[in-house]
Amino acid sequence: MQDSYREIFLSESQEYLKNISNCLVKLESKPGDLNSLNEIFRCTHTLKGMSATMGFEKITQLSHLMEDLLDELRSQKRAVTSNIIDSLLSSTDILEQLIQDVRLKQDSNIDISLSLQGLKKFLSEEAIPPEEKITLSDIDSIRLNEAEQNRFKQAKEKGLNVFKLKLLIAEDCLMKEARAFLVLTHLKKIGELIQSVPAMEDLKKERRLEQPSISAIFSTKENQGTVLQVILNIPEIEEVSLTAAEMPPLEAQAKTQLQEPSAYIKKIQSMRIPVQRLDRIMNLMGELTIAKIQLVQMVESLKLASLDEISTTLDRLTSALQDEIMQTRLLPASYILDSFNRVVRDLSKKKNKEVDLEIIGSEIELDRIVLDEIGDPMVHLLRNAIDHGIETPEERIAKGKSPRGKISITVSRQKGQIYIEVADDGKGIDLNSVRRIALERGLLTELEAANLDEKKILELITLPGFSTAKEVSDVSGRGVGLDVVKIRVESLGGRLDFETKPQAGTRFLLTLPLTLAIIKAMLVKVQQETLAIPLMSIRETIKLRPDEIKRVQNFEVVKVRNEVIPILRMDRALGIAANAPLQSHKPEGSGLASDSQSHKPEGSGLASDSQSQTNKLIPLVIIEYEAKSLGLVVSKIIGEQDIVVKPLPSFVKKTKGIAGATILGNGRVALILDIMSLR
Amino acid sequence: MAKVMIVDDALFMRKMLSDILKKDGFEICAEAENGKDAVDKYQQLKPDVVTMDIVMPKINDIDGIGAVKEIIKNDPGAKIIMVSAMGQHSLVVEAIQAGAKDFITKPFQPSRVLEAINRILK
Repeated sequence: MQDSYREIFLSESQEYLKNISNCLVKLESKPGDLNSLNEIFRCTHTLKGMSATMGFEKITQLSHLMEDLLDELRSQKRAVTSNIIDSLLSSTDILEQLIQDVRLKQDSNIDISLSLQGLKKFLSEEAIPPEEKITLSDIDSIRLNEAEQNRFKQAKEKGLNVFKLKLLIAEDCLMKEARAFLVLTHLKKIGELIQSVPAMEDLKKERRLEQPSISAIFSTKENQGTVLQVILNIPEIEEVSLTAAEMPPLEAQAKTQLQEPSAYIKKIQSMRIPVQRLDRIMNLMGELTIAKIQLVQMVESLKLASLDEISTTLDRLTSALQDEIMQTRLLPASYILDSFNRVVRDLSKKKNKEVDLEIIGSEIELDRIVLDEIGDPMVHLLRNAIDHGIETPEERIAKGKSPRGKISITVSRQKGQIYIEVADDGKGIDLNSVRRIALERGLLTELEAANLDEKKILELITLPGFSTAKEVSDVSGRGVGLDVVKIRVESLGGRLDFETKPQAGTRFLLTLPLTLAIIKAMLVKVQQETLAIPLMSIRETIKLRPDEIKRVQNFEVVKVRNEVIPILRMDRALGIAANAPLQSHKPEGSGLASDSQSHKPEGSGLASDSQSQTNKLIPLVIIEYEAKSLGLVVSKIIGEQDIVVKPLPSFVKKTKGIAGATILGNGRVALILDIMSLR
Repeated sequence: MAKVMIVDDALFMRKMLSDILKKDGFEICAEAENGKDAVDKYQQLKPDVVTMDIVMPKINDIDGIGAVKEIIKNDPGAKIIMVSAMGQHSLVVEAIQAGAKDFITKPFQPSRVLEAINRILK
């Protein structure tokens, strides 16, 4: 099968699976929810059709059985039970694995027999009788009852033709009952059915055909040829015999209907574009923007009045184009949020807790990459809420709360930032136990423990190695803690904040950039190099006198409004001091701040452009990460700018301190500082 | 050549059908992904034949069968072929009663699809 089909199959089946498991969860909480049931049915049905067409047998088999079961639920032959939902959900998981194998183009060795058995358990027994090959002569003739005989006579009195029909349906016809129904329906259109085996009423009820045949007596004003033509025009019919019961055929005219030709318009409303192509477009857009800036600047500086207008137009158009392209990268948050229903259901079941999940704002659009990245951290927050936040129903009742806990996820968008709030109504974070555990784990000293305010104590839970769970549970815990969530969010240029109220619950707030492709950054100079620092992580910029830099043990620090902030000299941290004129410096490694042992506080090595600025003010960019502040000594602060982030090629990807690069308006490359690796 | 409108909520199926039909010289004058869409496009484009997926989401209370009813109401001569997977007997019966002229069963053979369309056009 062609790859293009495979692509569509993969992307569509993924959506169907997501829908199925979502709706299953909804259905479980509201067993009468016919909309969800219908949606599950539709998706399963389509998936089955697609996979059958592609020849994916296991997927077809499993989805077919699921569909059978769903059909029974739909026709209310069977009630929706938690067991059935479980079985359907686990089958959906297997389907997902099978589709994954299709994606990897590998032969699947996944065993579906257990899932099939699981589903079959619920299905009513209905053996399919083997069909024997029969011929026209095997078809029994019809006997008419009195009423039918009367109708026969009346028809003849009216001068109609009365025919006896025997018909065999093709053996390979997949829905013989429906085929039989179609034949009879067509006959009824041209005449009156006096009697038929099987009867139409039976076919409507889906009674299985004993033989793949029809035998009928019917009256019509059409002649034999016309009737035969009507029948033979129906596909999947193997053999027909049509004999007049009596009387010579009357003349009749065949009718043909002509369709009116009319104008047509063909419109494609939407199309699929591979993500890589969008990325390339975005990248090219970035470069176009840069070329535009150069051009505009040149037109301005050369005072080329004749080019003024066109350059302004170009400026406006590229901005508009950039906005449009940005839009194509956005996807609604529901892409990840929808699957959380399942996550919450499974986790709370495992923990014997009852939890409702409320999702608000899932229609808000986020950058695709941001969406990709926040999935795991969000799942972790949900786990935390269910594991540590929400109490068991008994505890909740004892506290006078409703037995069902509630987690709400609220997405909102303000000023180019996305806010995602994950709040639970559980027991909140116990400050005393946080303090105790932090002491036990050596994360803070007795003195610190006594002096830290509540907010600082609370922040301890985001430190690596902190976990308030008494034992490692198989759900949360296991080394992955809030620290990882925080790091992940911050590596996206976002922030993680939270607050907690004892017995009322905990609220986490993720602040995320709308997009990762273009960020606001502060451009600074470190020696001759231009460096971009993501604005989101900058707390403030100040200027220092060289003598304001003090030494504490081996570290250089500054005091800013009573806060002692360690500083890092960027030239040495990044090893770009080498080609600058260093004077009063002893040779020294180009490592991070901790090795700046031999540095004199008033040293001139940090000055960039000339040797004569020993007493000039030193620009300091104070960044904030993991609730700590760090001052970066730079040579010069250039200013704020939107920059297009370009990922670094893999051979320099691991360079410490650098997250990526961007091309500036003057065509020069600037490196983007990776705050996270400056720890 | 006859104009065909393909109605299916799955892009996959639409592409499959359209490839089969185009290869045989049919013109795909429209594709619709739900019943409502199909009814509107039928009125506008008057295709010679419609292939209609039987199980589709309800839009404005119109699903596959609803669309058949609506199209037949507007044009009693409309030639609609239902596309159904196995096991959809009652839906197919309902569609036939609503006026569908034929049905094809998924997974389909290209020859079977073409046969159905060619016969209905006779």
